[in-house]
Amino acid sequence: MVSNRIDHKWGMVVDIDKCTGCQACVIACQAENNIPLNTKDTFLQKRVNEWIRIERYWEGEYPNVKARYIPVLCQHCDNAPCEPVCPMYATYHNDQGLNVQVYNRCVGTRYCINNCPYQVRFFNYWHPGWPERLENQLNPDVTVRSRGITEKCTFCVQRLRRAELKVERQSGNRLNDEALEKGNYAPACVHACPTSALTFGDQHDDGAKIRSYFDDVNAHNIHHEHERETRGYRLMEEVNTRPNVIYLKKVDQYPLGKGDGHV
Amino acid sequence: MKLTRRNFLAWAGLSAVGAVACDVFGEDRRELKVQSPVMQPEDLVKGTDNWYATLCRQCPTNEGIVVRVMEGRAKKVQGNPDYPVNLGKQAARCDAGLQSLYHPDRIAGPMKRVGPKGTGEFAPITWDQGLNDLKAALASHGDGLLLITEPVRAHSAMIADKFAKAFNGTHLGFEAFDQGVYRTAVKSVFGQDTLPDFDIGSANYLLSFGADFLSTWVSPTRWSIGYGAFRDSSNGGHRGTHVHIDPRFSMTASNADKWLPVTPGVEGHLALSIAHVIIAEGLQADGVDIDQLTSGRGAGALSDYSPERVGPMLNLHEDILHGHSGADLIKELAREFASHTPALAIGGDSSSAYSNGLFNAEAIYALNYLVGSVGRQVAFSPESPLSDLPSSANVGGLGDWAEHISDIKNGKTALVMVHNADPVYGLPESSGMGEALSSDSVFVVSFSSFIDDTAVMADLILPDRNYLEDWGSDIPEPGPGHQVIGIQQPVVNPLSELDPRSFGDVLLAIGQELGKESDLPWTSVKQALRETSDSLYDMNKGSVSGSTKDIYWNSMLRNGGWWDASSDPVTVQAPSGILNDIASRGSEAKFSGDGFYLIPFLHNTLLDGRNAHLPWAQSAPDPVTSVAWQTWVEINEKQMEGLGIREGDVVSLTSNAGRITAPAYPNPGMPPDIVGVPLGQGHKHGPDYATVGDAKDSANVIDILSAVRVDGTRSLAWASNRVQVQPTGDSVRVTKLEGEYESREIGNIIDNNPGEEIIKTTTPGEEHH
Repeated sequence: MVSNRIDHKWGMVVDIDKCTGCQACVIACQAENNIPLNTKDTFLQKRVNEWIRIERYWEGEYPNVKARYIPVLCQHCDNAPCEPVCPMYATYHNDQGLNVQVYNRCVGTRYCINNCPYQVRFFNYWHPGWPERLENQLNPDVTVRSRGITEKCTFCVQRLRRAELKVERQSGNRLNDEALEKGNYAPACVHACPTSALTFGDQHDDGAKIRSYFDDVNAHNIHHEHERETRGYRLMEEVNTRPNVIYLKKVDQYPLGKGDGHV
Repeated sequence: MKLTRRNFLAWAGLSAVGAVACDVFGEDRRELKVQSPVMQPEDLVKGTDNWYATLCRQCPTNEGIVVRVMEGRAKKVQGNPDYPVNLGKQAARCDAGLQSLYHPDRIAGPMKRVGPKGTGEFAPITWDQGLNDLKAALASHGDGLLLITEPVRAHSAMIADKFAKAFNGTHLGFEAFDQGVYRTAVKSVFGQDTLPDFDIGSANYLLSFGADFLSTWVSPTRWSIGYGAFRDSSNGGHRGTHVHIDPRFSMTASNADKWLPVTPGVEGHLALSIAHVIIAEGLQADGVDIDQLTSGRGAGALSDYSPERVGPMLNLHEDILHGHSGADLIKELAREFASHTPALAIGGDSSSAYSNGLFNAEAIYALNYLVGSVGRQVAFSPESPLSDLPSSANVGGLGDWAEHISDIKNGKTALVMVHNADPVYGLPESSGMGEALSSDSVFVVSFSSFIDDTAVMADLILPDRNYLEDWGSDIPEPGPGHQVIGIQQPVVNPLSELDPRSFGDVLLAIGQELGKESDLPWTSVKQALRETSDSLYDMNKGSVSGSTKDIYWNSMLRNGGWWDASSDPVTVQAPSGILNDIASRGSEAKFSGDGFYLIPFLHNTLLDGRNAHLPWAQSAPDPVTSVAWQTWVEINEKQMEGLGIREGDVVSLTSNAGRITAPAYPNPGMPPDIVGVPLGQGHKHGPDYATVGDAKDSANVIDILSAVRVDGTRSLAWASNRVQVQPTGDSVRVTKLEGEYESREIGNIIDNNPGEEIIKTTTPGEEHH
């Protein structure tokens, strides 16, 4: 039982201007979280399981064309649409702002998957099979989900728990940005990202790098988006899910459709 | 009582009662409202883990990594935060490498060929037998042997070089798309033998030609770290501008602020035309000696490259020119480039793989002199502190392989040893490598851990240890601007059912038994590394400290290597009249065949096919197309409609050298006269993951490349082919991520001004049509 914790509220900032689409986060996540192998068949069945994925959008066409990349993961919504529909309380909000999936409560109704506007919940249609030798790689801190279970991004909660044990319980220091980075405690995707497009931190920590973005976006609701001082926005703000993931807009120096004679 | 799902529900009901009871004892109410007092999986963190620093071997960069090990099993690979090259970051390839350690199809122990050559019929033998066979082969026909490895540096290169030399043979590194042209250009433009480091983060303006540097080119993780800083304006810095010049809409092109799809082969002309404008208009950076660069001739030295002459050659679409001329575009580009210093010009991949690739590369890199970034944004690391450790990989080009293939065919070379390289897959079929190795007159020894198209030709297979089980080292190239020696240490032992032996140790042991102690004096790679550590200890400088040699050695292993941030980069002096020399070598690209220009490219995770056996590398979607597990042919969307080809229709590509088939993918960004095809698939032999495709959706594009060299080099001109594209009538489903999800908002703001913005909901590719 976890109690007497330092009061964290975890959050992530994704800078779309820095994301190059390289897939380092995607594979780092799969390696950390025992995600079943995405075989050729899972692609054909459109059942690819990527807790974080890179979506690519086309804008325009040759020769004035852009491809946009956006990493999409569980948004850990404060008003999470997946939570109230679960008849088993398998998905709930913990006291650190995480949307958590309790695998041994899940009976596989998939209501949460239907209700998630971000499509970041995944159902195990089959028993996740690895060739026997590859099982040596499985992370012992993360449950292997069986058939019939829904799963999703946890913000690598196992790393956060280990961090709390080592940093807060043992040394008494607060788990701040520096401690997260130093101890390999931030989510695997954040550590991997070569361009540092992903930033993770504690919204309750005044010194956290993510703080100014959350303050800005929280202070300006959807109807006042032009008053924001940062590039921050939330995905699908109109559905008021209040995600704990904030995106920073792409900066466009030469936007398409602005044929101003600039060559 | 066994806890099943059904009786768990009963337990969950009971514990809800427990929750109420616990509340009385003063537990935190918040916690218990929706949470039963059973232990949550998120709280189950047990056991102790250790992180060991070592080196990744999944791509030629050899990034520094830390590996999480629990109970003797490697669990996770992450970038080593202290390693100066990748600073804690990693590519998807590094993570995927873990699967090579626990791969189900690793070769368990030594094997000997029992069937006809190339059929893959092997029988297990003992190591004593295997080593005796190798010794016998070396003694009888080892003279003039050919040792082929992956591109290696430092101790691995030193041992392989010395071994080959001791038997009068040659050691060469193999890469399907080698960096020979780039290396030659760096030598002639900068006078250096090692490849330069680019400080992209400090640049304001980045002009890149062809190089897919964010995905696969040379040191992508390092460039991406710089790119993140380049894009960062949060600390009062200025967000840099990136212009990418490339006939193909690559991942790097898709990230650039502006993409200029020029006609293939004109990159060098464009670069010199930019130089022409800079010199003619006097836009060069302060202190740049134009007289020295042009032997006093000024813009006259580049008179053949005036914007008026080069502009029409670019063949840019009118929607890019907006009614202006190509000459106007070059002038504006030159003015932007020269006025936004620090500026940086880099080039590679396709731009240096046409017949005139060397000229292109030289012209592109010479631009850096004009904006004063040589020695700043373009830096050369000092030589290794230990002169006997090679700091560059000696990689063969098509010319080298052609000579060795003829040596094999005429009997000069009767023994070929191959380690972590697959030249049969990676050289064009017409080069004849497969044919040469399948002859019974040559004895082929493979040290591969997996069957591949080369290993299947072997007479003897002596499987190497995985890099996570073995000792080694690297001098990164490009280095970070100072001296670095990375150390690779075993983080786990091989599993009990596997019996691999270290390739380096085998070379040393065999060499000594055959009386080559003077060339190969070490008993093991570890001992050679330890001697290096002791020499560094005696030098008493750099990142490692220790009161004794043992402590120093341990400290070096703990950090993942040794580096000396105080060592200064090499000062580069521009060769006199360099622009005149380059201008005089200008030529136009020649292509073989007709039809579409074929631009092959390294796959984001499979690279040149070396990672095709790793399921994570196979399943990582391609950034631009989102395709996984297949070969695809990227064709302009409208062009496909015109040809009556739909997505997934299997098309044939016919060049002068051959024909392959693969499904088409409509890419709205591809120029109408270009087709792009990734390397990586189409293995004939190998683990199931590498050979999952069939003839319809898995092809090796190298097979249809003409064996033509880049002028003035020994490297393959892999972008100099034109192909006919025809539907075959077959169709397959494209295995892609695209279309699996609904659309999302991509916020755009214009020129970093939050006041002016567009938030768009753009639709994924499926709905694009």
